[in-house]
Amino acid sequence: MDFLTNLSSGFAVALSPWNLLCAAIGALIGTAIGVLPGLGPPATVALLLPVTYKMEPASAIIMLAGIFYGAMYGGSTTSILLNIPGEAASVVTCLDGYKMARQGRAGAALGISAIGSFIAGTISVLGLSLVAPAIASFALKFGPPEYFSLVLLGLMMAVYLSEESIMKGLAMAALGILLGTVGIDPVHGATRFTFGISRLLDGFDFVVVAMGLFGIAEVLINLEAPEIRDIFKTSFQGLLPTREDWRRCWASVVRGSFIGFFIGVLPGGGAIISSFISYAVEKRVSKHPEEFGKGAIEGVAAPESANNAASTSSFIPLLTLGIPGNATIAMIFVALMIHGIRPGPMLLQEHPNLFWGVVASMYLGNLMLLGLNLPLIGFWVRLLRVPYHFLAVVVVIICLIGAYSVKNAVFDIGTMLAFGVTGYLMRKGGFPPAPLILAMILGPILERSLQQSLISSGGDPSLFIEKPISAALLGVAAFLMLTPILKRLWKPSRPVQNTY
Amino acid sequence: MKNPSGVLGSLLLFLVGMGAIIGAVRLHVGSPTEPQPGFFPLLAGISLIVLSSIIFFQEWLGYGQKKEAFGEVRRPALLLAVLIVLVAVLDRLGYVIGTFIASGLILRILDVKSWRVLIITSLGLSIGTYLLFDRLLGIDLPRGMLARFNL
Repeated sequence: MDFLTNLSSGFAVALSPWNLLCAAIGALIGTAIGVLPGLGPPATVALLLPVTYKMEPASAIIMLAGIFYGAMYGGSTTSILLNIPGEAASVVTCLDGYKMARQGRAGAALGISAIGSFIAGTISVLGLSLVAPAIASFALKFGPPEYFSLVLLGLMMAVYLSEESIMKGLAMAALGILLGTVGIDPVHGATRFTFGISRLLDGFDFVVVAMGLFGIAEVLINLEAPEIRDIFKTSFQGLLPTREDWRRCWASVVRGSFIGFFIGVLPGGGAIISSFISYAVEKRVSKHPEEFGKGAIEGVAAPESANNAASTSSFIPLLTLGIPGNATIAMIFVALMIHGIRPGPMLLQEHPNLFWGVVASMYLGNLMLLGLNLPLIGFWVRLLRVPYHFLAVVVVIICLIGAYSVKNAVFDIGTMLAFGVTGYLMRKGGFPPAPLILAMILGPILERSLQQSLISSGGDPSLFIEKPISAALLGVAAFLMLTPILKRLWKPSRPVQNTY
Repeated sequence: MKNPSGVLGSLLLFLVGMGAIIGAVRLHVGSPTEPQPGFFPLLAGISLIVLSSIIFFQEWLGYGQKKEAFGEVRRPALLLAVLIVLVAVLDRLGYVIGTFIASGLILRILDVKSWRVLIITSLGLSIGTYLLFDRLLGIDLPRGMLARFNL
């Protein structure tokens, strides 16, 4: 009964006209950036943070969350019609979605991806509503040692599950931790690595760093190559899947939803990995695996359901443990902090209206997205015809405003540009940016909990293995760190072909 | 050397790690039982050095993953140049004039040939974003030269 009471109070928040508008705006912007290749959800959430400064916290998070799950819906459109993923999480949709479009079944592919996303999103929100309170209540037992181990595990998983090299991910996490120490030390009050620059006393602002790493770097990468957008001209008749389509893919939607939900909960798991895993599972369980890659509707339904379910369930570690699992959720973490709300186990007790309001808005947002995606498909296709140079200028200008608005300082624009160049070079060297931003956010929490633990134990580090929860978490973190070494010992890899 | 960009990246990370260790020692490290301000940066610095050394050898020997090759860098370089100049003069010129000129230049870099499109887009963007963010959302963007005219 508690669940229903809480959810109904959440709906009371989410159904206010202003919050409905925020959810609709978030879903609309999310779909647009999902449709348009070249600007991902982390950059968009970072860009729009300044817009939320004067909003109520619940409204701000409702809008930013809408951008995240909206992008998952929109990403499939570009994959199906252009064979270019609008979002990294829609890469796998290209395989069968584009083939379906070539076979004159673009409408069915777009339809099943929207309906599958809706079903998955709804299942995932239901899971979030049921699971999150239990996790939050368990996490209330955590002291500094458990928190230290949990944050460390979160970072390790984010690195381990990132699609890039684990060593490079770990190096980026170490760099992020180092960047997170810039400014005044919260325990001793000493200034660290500010080089006499007073603007750095508060450290690097996450928003500025994220805009550089994800916004400016993305524009720089996209400017390297000439723009080629070959939009496949096709009819969008028959957007609703046929009875035969449903018979073939209802189980794929359900499997994709559950795979997405469970992978999304893991830090670093998120939408990208879940879409790949669900595609692989579908191919494995299918009676016609040979049809995959040639226009199988299950190859669209499963990954699209999975990425949407994962985007919703990735809110669980943020809202219950205060641990952002991916770059977009990290930006929502920052948004909560800007509004003076500390994400974690106490959030549910201290701000129940915000928690349940955001959860309820996700139910509504999914419904809105279904309405936005199918009837407006013609509009999204027209949006794809907007030349990239217009989008690039808009992104650059909004990045400038966003960076400036943090402290009304041109210095922050310069910092953003520096991180933009860094992000561009990182991409060229194969260094993933997400662990850096996650570690920047989690580093200070890690440091504080380490110092508190050591102070409470009189400097005895055995505290971390004496506490059972902490020991278990550290054990898993150690296992993740050792896995690549064990893998290498088990099966030595060969040098890859030089791509230059 | 199989992957030059990866090798260069690992060397840069190694240098950052060295810098972090030197800075941490100057800050005073303390001990694990009594950590001081330099303790945590020292751990991060040591991790960076160890990891960058492993990455260096991996990239040198070609064990790394596929990288994005550098494409045509003229346009990204020009865009950066425009933005750096804009940062230098933004306070003096103000947001509207600064972004009008910068957007025009960026569009030109992006091969927009028509002067009409270029001017209308730049003007629309600079004034439109100013009205939206400054006037509507209350973000105090720099007035610069226009402050003299109370705009």
